[in-house]
Amino acid sequence: MRQEPEIKVVTKIEKTVVPTVPHPKPVQMNDIKIYVVSPSENFEEFKKEFESKNGGDAYIAISIKDYENLSLNFAELRRYIEQQKAIIVYYEEAVSPLPKTEKSE
Amino acid sequence: MFSGLKIAMVFVLLASAGGAFIYVKNLQSNLEIARANNAKLEIAVETSEASLKVLKEDNARLNELNSTLNVSLSKSEAYGDELRATLNKHNLTHLANKKPGPIEKRMQNATNKLWNDLESITTVTPGVQSDETRAGDQSSNKD
Repeated sequence: MRQEPEIKVVTKIEKTVVPTVPHPKPVQMNDIKIYVVSPSENFEEFKKEFESKNGGDAYIAISIKDYENLSLNFAELRRYIEQQKAIIVYYEEAVSPLPKTEKSE
Repeated sequence: MFSGLKIAMVFVLLASAGGAFIYVKNLQSNLEIARANNAKLEIAVETSEASLKVLKEDNARLNELNSTLNVSLSKSEAYGDELRATLNKHNLTHLANKKPGPIEKRMQNATNKLWNDLESITTVTPGVQSDETRAGDQSSNKD
């Protein structure tokens, strides 16, 4: 009489490996030139310098308060980028498999 | 009469021996089942302990990552806080009216530094980065 084969049940823990994708390329900023113009101090000087570089082109003026707001807006964007980056790194490390040295312990 | 009694006794003895044999066989069979069950339970306990260990390790790792993340998130607030403090400390309108030249230099330097910082914080690990050249100075204002 043939012996009944023994069925072995093996339970193994298998984690899903989520592949991480490359990060986007870094930003490439263009330089800008800032003029600070005081009507009582250097307005004429500015006009001459500006015209010598840009001809009679129009220019955009921004108040000091708005410049402050602009810089605060950039600070907010910078914070957002840094925090978003930190969160991405967190997820990347969380889903990455454990190093072999840790696994063997 | 005695022979009848003997036969009866032999019969009883044989029946008892047979009963005992069946009883022992049954006991052995039950013992085998109990051993098999015990082995299965041991495996189940081992698996469950291994799962628990992995779960604990994962939990500890995620806690550590979470702490690192919180530090990074708080650190990211520093630039904005410093900028707000600087802007509150100085009356930039007054300073720009009185000393437009030095203020212009400081604003220009701060802006250049911000662009550099933005490039720096978005830099990826070597090998991933594109080889495209930097956009560079495309400003219409040439010094």
